[in-house]
Amino acid sequence: MAATHAQRSTREIFTTLEYGPVPESHACALAWLDTQDRHLGHYVNGKWLKPEHRNSVPCRDPITGENLASCPQAQAEDVAAAVEAARTAWENWSGLPGASRAQYLTRLAKMIQKHQRLLWTLESLVTGRAVREVRDRDIPLAQQLLQWHAVQAYTQEETLAGWEPMGVIGLILSPTFSFLEMMWRICPALAVGCTVVVLVPPGSPTPLLLAQLAGELGSFPGILNVINGPASLGPILASQPGVQKVTFCGAVEEGRVLRRTLAGQGAELGLALGAESLLVLTEAADVDSAVEGVVDAAWSDRSAGGLRLLIQESVWDETMRRLQERMARLRGGRGLDGAVDMGARGAAAHDLAQRYVREAQSQGAQVFQAGDVPSVSPFFPPTLVSDLPPASPCTQAEVPWPVVVASPFRTAKEALAVANGTPRGGSASVWSERLGQALELGYGLRVGTVWINAHGLRHPEVPTGGCKESGSSWHGGPDGLYEYLRPSGTPARLPSLSENLNYDTFGLAVPLTLPSGPEIGPSPAAPYGLFIGGRFQAPGARSSRCIQDSKGNLQAYVAEGGAKDIRGAVEAAHQAAPGWVSQPPGARASLLWALASALERRESAFTSALERHGVELKTAKVEVELSARRLRAWGARAQAQGHLLQVAELRGPVLRLREPLGVLAIVCPDEWPLLAFASLLAAALAHGNAVVLVPSGVCPIPALEVCQDMATLLPAGLVNVVTGDRDHLTRCLALHQDVQALWYFGSAQGSQFVEWASAGNLKPVWVNRGRPRAWDQEAQGAGPELGLRAARTKALWLPMGD
Amino acid sequence: MGGRIPTRGSRRGQRARGQRARGQRAGGGGQRARGAEGPGAEVAGPAPRGTGAGRARRSRGGGTQEGLGGGELGVEEPATAAVARAMSARNLGTELDLSWISKIQVNQPAVLRRAEQIQARRMVKKEWQAAWLLKAVTFIDLTTLSGDDTSSNVQRLCYKAKYPIREDLLKALNVHDKGLTTAAVCVYPARVCDAVKALKAAGSTIPVASVATGFPAGQTHLKTRLEEIRLAVEDGATEIDVVINRTLVLTGQWEGSDFIKTSTGKETVNATFPVAIVMLRAIRDFFWKTGNKIGFKPAGGIRSAKDSLAWLSLIKEELGDEWLTPELFRIGASTLLSDIERQIYHHVTGRYAAYHDLPMS
Repeated sequence: MAATHAQRSTREIFTTLEYGPVPESHACALAWLDTQDRHLGHYVNGKWLKPEHRNSVPCRDPITGENLASCPQAQAEDVAAAVEAARTAWENWSGLPGASRAQYLTRLAKMIQKHQRLLWTLESLVTGRAVREVRDRDIPLAQQLLQWHAVQAYTQEETLAGWEPMGVIGLILSPTFSFLEMMWRICPALAVGCTVVVLVPPGSPTPLLLAQLAGELGSFPGILNVINGPASLGPILASQPGVQKVTFCGAVEEGRVLRRTLAGQGAELGLALGAESLLVLTEAADVDSAVEGVVDAAWSDRSAGGLRLLIQESVWDETMRRLQERMARLRGGRGLDGAVDMGARGAAAHDLAQRYVREAQSQGAQVFQAGDVPSVSPFFPPTLVSDLPPASPCTQAEVPWPVVVASPFRTAKEALAVANGTPRGGSASVWSERLGQALELGYGLRVGTVWINAHGLRHPEVPTGGCKESGSSWHGGPDGLYEYLRPSGTPARLPSLSENLNYDTFGLAVPLTLPSGPEIGPSPAAPYGLFIGGRFQAPGARSSRCIQDSKGNLQAYVAEGGAKDIRGAVEAAHQAAPGWVSQPPGARASLLWALASALERRESAFTSALERHGVELKTAKVEVELSARRLRAWGARAQAQGHLLQVAELRGPVLRLREPLGVLAIVCPDEWPLLAFASLLAAALAHGNAVVLVPSGVCPIPALEVCQDMATLLPAGLVNVVTGDRDHLTRCLALHQDVQALWYFGSAQGSQFVEWASAGNLKPVWVNRGRPRAWDQEAQGAGPELGLRAARTKALWLPMGD
Repeated sequence: MGGRIPTRGSRRGQRARGQRARGQRAGGGGQRARGAEGPGAEVAGPAPRGTGAGRARRSRGGGTQEGLGGGELGVEEPATAAVARAMSARNLGTELDLSWISKIQVNQPAVLRRAEQIQARRMVKKEWQAAWLLKAVTFIDLTTLSGDDTSSNVQRLCYKAKYPIREDLLKALNVHDKGLTTAAVCVYPARVCDAVKALKAAGSTIPVASVATGFPAGQTHLKTRLEEIRLAVEDGATEIDVVINRTLVLTGQWEGSDFIKTSTGKETVNATFPVAIVMLRAIRDFFWKTGNKIGFKPAGGIRSAKDSLAWLSLIKEELGDEWLTPELFRIGASTLLSDIERQIYHHVTGRYAAYHDLPMS
């Protein structure tokens, strides 16, 4: 066992030629803990905060169980104090020129460099991770992050004009995430001018040490505050006045709970969930290198999660043999041993892995374990699970560290189907020496990061994030910066919490439509249907609602859509989506332009429809004209999507792709019934999404008139428009698991419901919280914010070499 | 068939291995060696171009890495049975199946990453380091390949091969009774006589290896190369490092071998980790397919004790402990031994050695 080598003589080792321990001294980590009298507090406003009368949690060495220090758990007032400090600091920090912030970040990078030994020994000591990984990878990366973001801060006025920092950012870390995850998020936040309060689980001193290093630079106390406390303090942190955004990284279920709890709260929520990764190994792969990729992904203390491994059937046997051979050579042991591949992650991680493996076994899986790893908890050997029946619960569950679950596939197409058939969308690697196949898989995988013939590469310049249940928050690269920015002039987010909103009944009942009095004047035309699958259809409920004009007269009947109609619309959109995605941007643009022309041709019809709703003729004309312009503008922007990143230390490019969200549901605002509809639709279509829209409730006629044109111009099902009770339709869309994103412009209550309901499939949502937007203004009606929200980023790493 | 294959590191910009192999199948189908079942069997089919008569060891080669400054591998110049290296288990060969070669995929960036990792992940310290360094001594082909070699410096080299580490140091580590020597002494053919004589005088059975066959370029006629081997063997060399005819390799005419070597040591780029990884994986695959263990010898540029430890852990990681024997692993080096001795001195005494503390080789 790697950690339990008895004292051996040179003579014995000469015969056995075994490995020995390479202990890394952690004396300096202990000395640092001593400076705090082994009693860690919180680091707030550039000082240690050690309040009395708090429950203390011991910080233990996860391997020996030795009590290293005690950590008082924060209470609400400590959280409030930290947020207050961050808020005060923000006043100054956000107003500084970018160059000053750049200078500060550079100084912090140097500070880390000076104290790197302390950082790596402390981190390895308390997390149990292999010191080699912390020392050789995490610490240099932390410095690179600061340096890269310093450059971004320096050029902020120029490259991020039109954006301003959000304010105080709350960051909640779960116990399985390392201090590096914190660095990935605080660097962009600080760079753009936000200040941060980090809530770390008790017993994680490294973030406190980092805060101390930052605080000791002196100039700006309070921009980085770290408090110890359980994750249950998250909602308290989020509801502090001034906190504009909360970023959480942790387990999927925790994220779901947080999403529900924070519905209607002031802070926006960014989620980065789960840690499972995926590796697709094709028959055209360099199998030995791919096996090393598996080691990087699951057995080298790089990632916090397990790995799902898809192996092409024709190389299954060969791969399994190599994998098992390689596993036997892995070494586990105390993280502070410089020659181990894997450390340990504490008892909780051990038990989680143990449970998963036992369950997999009971469900009929083969389990292979190997490696030179101590057989006592918390050590867990590298584990390879295969032959797991496809429908068994373990196949669906997230794979924990350090488990690899292997399953076969026959063709690349099937690999995509299997890989995309999970709710997770974090990262994946593709191993194939065939360029075409590798790119096909790389583009086809619905995940945030794809590495071709590599696994686990990271760089500050490359955005990392996910989709589906992995959450839609980003760190690194330009996307990481936008996480903490909002368009200049956006008012601060305030809570719009409605305590008595009943989630179970909101929008549940469809109001009955009864005859609303005599029809005066010439009989209105036949009721408008629902625009689904490219044609107008009668609603499932077979009833219509009347639309009154500004004078209270009956203007028209529109269909009363319901749950079944939403289902049909989402299905139609899903069918149309692949065709639309495969259209080149140019083709998308020309269709949007054609739609704009159609709008202009029928300008008078739209103008009069708007006029009947009390819009002045001049304003109505402007609205129609602007709508056409928006369609054209987004058509033109569709041409320029994504770009190429050149990353140091990597030969070859990284592509930053902008991929459509999929089926996007949009509940349009009541104001600007045509312009808002056109603006949102144009942005969504230009980025390749298929759309289900609920038009303005009071004035749906212009939108339905546009449908007449779309019926002839656009592919069937690409755009679907459903009229009816907005709350009811919102409910159906928000709870629909196969709607990939939802934009809601309506009431504060509706916004709150949408945020709550999105926890189901963790779809990204954009809500206005009952606040009208100035759709006629360029910034709010057609600004880059729409483009940012209309697509998601994917980073595709393409290392090269022959 | 004991030819070991030094190759050189100057072969860049060649076509990919797989293409080369396929090209051969298309164009020169009659040139594969066939039908031989045991050592020394005659080539049944038409002999490979340029080889004339001779006995072919056929089989696959292995992977290679162009652009890494690396060598070629898995190719053997047919040689006569008379020069077989004294090996416990020899490559009995197998039917040449070029599909093995064409199927091999090597991803260069991934191999480079692995090479970087392997040097950082398996350190050994203290007693372990001392033991590993002593073990490394037993793998060394103590080499002198200079134009000005004479019998006196060859004699000194042989003495050093017999007594590689100062006796008192070995005693301190309690390994003085292990009969620690280097694996072999390696000299030019003209110096084989001197080496054999010196070793005999020292009462040693350390084998003498020689770099026959037009070393280091291998660009001489087959006839003279064979003659060179014969003469070296007559002089008492028991191991011959053969430089393959790389013209044949580049035109896709593969042959087999039972010991492969990264390079001659006479190039600007010699033994590198990425190249070695590819070669070791080929060795392992060949073993899995045929049961034959092929030996491996990195040569050139391995100067420090730390380097030698990395090479040992590389072998241990990629092939396993069973390859860590002089029959299957050699390090071609001239100055490495003195650095190892210096490290051992430091381990035993806790002091850094002065130049005059250790005997020269």
